[in-house]
Amino acid sequence: MANRVAIVAVSQNAGAESKDNFYDQAYRVVKDALDKAGMSREEIHTVVSASSDIFHGGISCANAYYWESSAAFLKPGSRQDGESLFALAYAAMRIMTGKHDTALVVGLCKGSENPENDTCTHMFTDPFYQREVGLNETVAAALQMRLYMERFGVAHEQCAKVAVKNLGNALRNPYAHKKGIYTIDAVLDSKRVIDPLTAMQIAPKSEGIIALVLASENKAKKLTDKPVWLKGYSSSLDTFNFGDRDLLNGQLKNAASRAYKMAGITNPRKEVDLAEITEPYAFQELLWCEDLGFCDPGGGGKLIDSGATQRDGALPVNASGGVLANNPYVSRGLQRAVEAFLQIRGEAGEHQVGKKVKTALAHGTHGFAGQCHAVAILGS
Amino acid sequence: MAKEFKTLLTEIKLPYELAYGATWTRFFEGMKEKKIYGTKCSRCGRILVPARTFCPRCFVDTDEWVEVSPQGTVLTWSYANYRYFGMPMDPPFISALIKLDGADVGFLHIVAGFDLDDFDVVRQTVKTGMRVKAVWEDERKGHIMDIRHFEPL
Amino acid sequence: MGRPVAIIGVGQTKHGRRMDVSYPDLVREAVLRVFEDTGLTPNDIDGVVSGTMPSMMEGVALTHFYFADAMQAVGKPIMKTETCGSTGVSIAHTAFYWVSSGMADIVLAVGHEKMNEGDSQATMTTVCEPFYQRHFVAGAPGAFSMQSRVWMDNFGIPEDKVRDAAAYISKTHHDSAFDNPYAHVKLRVTIDDVKNSKIITYPIRLLDVCPNSDGACAVIFASEEAVRKLGRKKVAWVKGIGFRGEEYYFGDSDKAVWQSAIQAAKEAYDQAGINDPRKDLDVAEVYNPFTFQEMMFYECFGFCGFGEAPDLVLKGTFARGGQLPCDPSGGTLCTNPIGATGLIRVAEAALQVMDKAGDHQIPGSKMALGHAMGGADQFNGVMIVGSEL
Repeated sequence: MANRVAIVAVSQNAGAESKDNFYDQAYRVVKDALDKAGMSREEIHTVVSASSDIFHGGISCANAYYWESSAAFLKPGSRQDGESLFALAYAAMRIMTGKHDTALVVGLCKGSENPENDTCTHMFTDPFYQREVGLNETVAAALQMRLYMERFGVAHEQCAKVAVKNLGNALRNPYAHKKGIYTIDAVLDSKRVIDPLTAMQIAPKSEGIIALVLASENKAKKLTDKPVWLKGYSSSLDTFNFGDRDLLNGQLKNAASRAYKMAGITNPRKEVDLAEITEPYAFQELLWCEDLGFCDPGGGGKLIDSGATQRDGALPVNASGGVLANNPYVSRGLQRAVEAFLQIRGEAGEHQVGKKVKTALAHGTHGFAGQCHAVAILGS
Repeated sequence: MAKEFKTLLTEIKLPYELAYGATWTRFFEGMKEKKIYGTKCSRCGRILVPARTFCPRCFVDTDEWVEVSPQGTVLTWSYANYRYFGMPMDPPFISALIKLDGADVGFLHIVAGFDLDDFDVVRQTVKTGMRVKAVWEDERKGHIMDIRHFEPL
Repeated sequence: MGRPVAIIGVGQTKHGRRMDVSYPDLVREAVLRVFEDTGLTPNDIDGVVSGTMPSMMEGVALTHFYFADAMQAVGKPIMKTETCGSTGVSIAHTAFYWVSSGMADIVLAVGHEKMNEGDSQATMTTVCEPFYQRHFVAGAPGAFSMQSRVWMDNFGIPEDKVRDAAAYISKTHHDSAFDNPYAHVKLRVTIDDVKNSKIITYPIRLLDVCPNSDGACAVIFASEEAVRKLGRKKVAWVKGIGFRGEEYYFGDSDKAVWQSAIQAAKEAYDQAGINDPRKDLDVAEVYNPFTFQEMMFYECFGFCGFGEAPDLVLKGTFARGGQLPCDPSGGTLCTNPIGATGLIRVAEAALQVMDKAGDHQIPGSKMALGHAMGGADQFNGVMIVGSEL
């Protein structure tokens, strides 16, 4: 790799509905990230944002709207659509070339203003075949979940346990939108939204403006004594037609293996200290853990039963509460990177895990049953 | 009309509910009282209209409210004479950027109050640099169209 | 800085009203052509960058999903770049950075739009927020008409002269489109036709305006090492890139001395070592959805002084046989599938320096500029390519 890239400061806002408008809210979070980095707007060389255009925001060409809110006035910049971790990678690439010394990454989603998540994800369908029969992300997840439980014998209780764990973890995260102490039965007995998914196994619709300040190795060392390095990254895309895919053998394995290779990780179970995973549906945390190599295929149920992924476990997963607690649809991947950053720095506050975190994984996914995945490896 | 290829006719309409935030709320409250407010950047001193929470260039909070004049000078204009789906206003109409007295940036609105169907009249009436004033609706709702239009002074 | 990157091949669809194909099939047409042009296969591709205008344009969100197969991107790392009208150039920038950073060796960049399936002006109106601006901006033509007037008034250029020069641009670009097999509008027009065509948003008339096109463009970017390994001789090296955006609120910034255009070009010139663009560039593919605006770009890009463009246009300085030919492909004025358009400008610039532009080749082109503009009259992006490393 050319120049090493570090994250030097982050900021985020709370997931619950706020009174601020989108334009001002973006400014506040970006300003906070700059303040934390001890930098002025002038010291930022390039800005890469991640946002949805019209469907998850209501304004087309979204970065036109928040361009100056994201400190980008008369700066070189760009925008990624879809998975917000793309923006982290793109900003890092910009620094790796040596053309830019510092970069700002901004993910923006104000869920409270948007139509229902499924109204938006319904628009991922093609208008000819899949739209009229009602495919959306939740329908896709329900289909995937049934296959997962039936093929691997994972129990519904084991899936529900993910919600119990994550909503419990969220009690310690001041930014989390949904939180609470629940029993497995409460999760299973919550409204049957689309069987086998019940309401508490489905992520909410949250606000999330996320900002990260990135810097080259030289610059990072001047800005902080605790830089967090981007050690590895990749993404992978699956085929479009839902029926063409093997829903339990998706692209996360590809994305992860490439990211691990870049980071020099050969045994993720041992070398990854903590993971922040995008699990908009509870069971997906189990399935994604398998694909990430944290356990054997089909072993996701046993993994949660073992307690390893609890906040005080050997490999904490979603100590922040994850996406079940906070789901700004577009920026949720970047939020995982922010949480990984905080854990590595020991700055996660009440949800800081007990063990020392040297290497953390941030995962993002969007699309039906994980049509697209991105994996970033961060390390001290 | 017969089409040369088979096509699917469909339409999408989605609901959004967008927050005004404190600054724009105050701006639109002012509109109800026939007042146009800007905010002043403490660093560059520019008065931004409509009111802004922060200065896009200096990236600091604005900290002073300033009422600007409902009169101003046309910086540029355009005569719209075409139509498209969802157009918020029926053509013809004149979009204009107006520098309100006391403001440092252009305010986007429409110029009207004369025969817009006759383009020769339009061409003779509307000039860059012309002075205009806001014409207010009798019933104001805290909306950008509380100013019905700007008309030549 | 960074690793050198070259464009090694391009593929375009026949642009136009393409209701004979579905949107994915349209995308696939361009992708197949770039593989045909380069002799590469999908196995050679390390990553794919996709981009388009906002989803409202065709009513499908996140089109990288929809076109995963059409782009042969299944199993590959993916990026989805969108910056409104400048998307095409931003896609090219993304592919450039991806390769230059060392994260990939060979990247496929794909831009696409099927504008006849939606309502482009209605879509563009939603670029403006609904609190203040959406009510007044009459789609893109409204904004650009106001900008043209600011420019004329600011530099005291007589409106008649600007009108004549814009009509000249319309006529010559429409003529050029006949030499581009992929161009959409093929129409012989006279100066008088342009000047008498219907007013869209005064001063802009129908023949000053680009069409709604369906089209896709695919471009393959490769590292120096990959170029060597593949034994390619005729490639277009990326010499410089630039991008700037200014304020969202139309009234906030000066649109006559247009800083985003000026600074984006300067950033690219500095990298490419260009001091006198009119001399140093051999051809420019300037994004020109509106004739009037093209002249503003000439000035902001330093092809001439401010206020001078109309005179030079009428002298033929920027025509096919002139000192700096602009848009010999017919440009955006004749072909505008927006999400692809900026990438087409870069592709056309690359074709010129690779001496592969066919009937609209400007002989001996060694350095060429591609450009696109986007946002609420707000973003400008530039890529400069050259025949030598």
